[in-house]
Amino acid sequence: MPFNLRDTGATLWANSNKWQRYLIAGVIIVGAFALPLLEGTFLNTPRTPFVSVLFYPIGVYVLMALGLNVVVGKSGLLDLGYVAFYAVGAYTAGILSMHTKLNTWEILPVGIALAMLSGFVLGAAVLRLRGDYLAIVTLGFGEIIRITALNSSAVGGANGISNIPNPPTTFGFTFDLESDRNYYWVVLILIIITILIIRGLSARRPGRAWESIRQDEDVAELMGVNTYKYKLWAFVFGASVGGAAGVLFASKAMFIAPNIFNYNISILILAFVVFGGMGNIWGVVFGAVLLSYIPERIRFISEARMLIFGLVLIIMMNLRPDGLLPRKKREKIGIAGGEIK
Amino acid sequence: MSNQPVLELKNVTMQFGGVKALNQVNLQVNKGEICALIGPNGAGKTTVFNVVTGVYVPTDGEILFNGKSLKGKNRHKITKMGIARTFQNVRLFGEMTSLENVITATDVHNKSGLVGSILNTPRSRREEKAGREKAHEILKFMGIDHRSDQLAKNLPYGDQRRLEIARALGTSPEIVLLDEPAAGFNPSEKKSLAELIVKIRDRGYTVLLIEHDMSLIMGISDRVAVLDFGEKIADDLPSVVQNNPKVIEAYLGVPADAS
Repeated sequence: MPFNLRDTGATLWANSNKWQRYLIAGVIIVGAFALPLLEGTFLNTPRTPFVSVLFYPIGVYVLMALGLNVVVGKSGLLDLGYVAFYAVGAYTAGILSMHTKLNTWEILPVGIALAMLSGFVLGAAVLRLRGDYLAIVTLGFGEIIRITALNSSAVGGANGISNIPNPPTTFGFTFDLESDRNYYWVVLILIIITILIIRGLSARRPGRAWESIRQDEDVAELMGVNTYKYKLWAFVFGASVGGAAGVLFASKAMFIAPNIFNYNISILILAFVVFGGMGNIWGVVFGAVLLSYIPERIRFISEARMLIFGLVLIIMMNLRPDGLLPRKKREKIGIAGGEIK
Repeated sequence: MSNQPVLELKNVTMQFGGVKALNQVNLQVNKGEICALIGPNGAGKTTVFNVVTGVYVPTDGEILFNGKSLKGKNRHKITKMGIARTFQNVRLFGEMTSLENVITATDVHNKSGLVGSILNTPRSRREEKAGREKAHEILKFMGIDHRSDQLAKNLPYGDQRRLEIARALGTSPEIVLLDEPAAGFNPSEKKSLAELIVKIRDRGYTVLLIEHDMSLIMGISDRVAVLDFGEKIADDLPSVVQNNPKVIEAYLGVPADAS
């Protein structure tokens, strides 16, 4: 029998008692925090400092992939405009730091709240649509946010916003151009919190509701699931994670412009989710880490790297169409839709 | 058995373009009875289920549940009020375990939602535990508790049909609408299912049943309503309906010399 990482991991976890589980989780968390120590090894990225790559793209993209996974992987709602919430978070950081004295940690909840609000507004309007229609409208929403920013002089238009302050020194950790490691640790903490929340939700009522909606929305509703409400929650939750990623990114980069938040990011994050294994937290984390790391690692071949990246994607999707770590063994046949009989 | 109506259809018409799937149908299901709905293919039986559960909005007429109109109610609200159903083609959540399938249905009466689940509040924990226990209890009642940890799609066909009923019972309904629960069963499976339906009725649920197998229907129904081309042509005790010339005509056609 070939080695199956997902089942091996799942079995190990299922057969462990409480303390062994704490131990496993502890080892993984400490290991993740210790990743900056690998700087200078064969993993080192050329052109960009390794620890900085750990924060962006890897950390930020893992965070976003986790958020999008709730929408696409768990609830089955194809969202092609996820970058919009990332942009809302980043622009919240930009605008608030322009006009107020709030620091990054104070801006973070505001950014999350505004991203949730935009998720709510978008969701309330479009979640009566399904499948392809939903995908197209969300795609449009992503572009609307970018183009609005591009044409608003209040947020700098095409020039964007610069001089966004770094976070203040907190608990003795400084945040400036040299402190890549501390930024990485902050995003890692957010990733851990997000994973814990998603795990809690998945095991309880919202997880079941999302899962039933993904599998057969009509039947879910007839079994008493308030599908509209839970789809909206999925959207709002996904948006909040995207918003948090946006605030962090803006405060590290110190500069944002509309062209950073283009459609490619939405597709890239979706690729992480699909590549890693839709609906499986660890699959999505693996997918996002690998796919955001590889282009940085092979940066020395410059222009050809995106070609290689695409090739890797195609080969992988042929070998493992359900992703690196699929959620459960899936059948190839889709769920019967259409008329209820 | 009382004559207190649980479900009433009053002059319900359901029109799709030029086709009247239901034409002025009146139907009353009383508390605690097994009412069978029969008729040839395309007579409109499943359409009755679909208008009652809110899948379709009837073109005309009124549907009352315990005297309250279901007009304008969402599907999940109707389920919460106490109407549950199964599907003619098995439509389980295939990638969930049997237990999860039933717990999903029990969730309908729970209060805790997303925030409660994130914070793992006492109420959320209590409801999760209660849902699990109730689901096990229902699976045991349906005789498939040993399947509780298996994915629904991996269950044998007969158990999938039973799980469909279990999931419907999970919503704590007053009335269950069973859409051909014995389809594809062999005679001995049909017999045990018939006993199960009687057990469901004896537990206090009212049952509205669509079925093609006449021996099953005649054996367990308290009352039989017959639909033909969207119109109700008979509604009486099984033994009476059996000899109704209109019913015989609907099923077997008119003798050549009589036409």
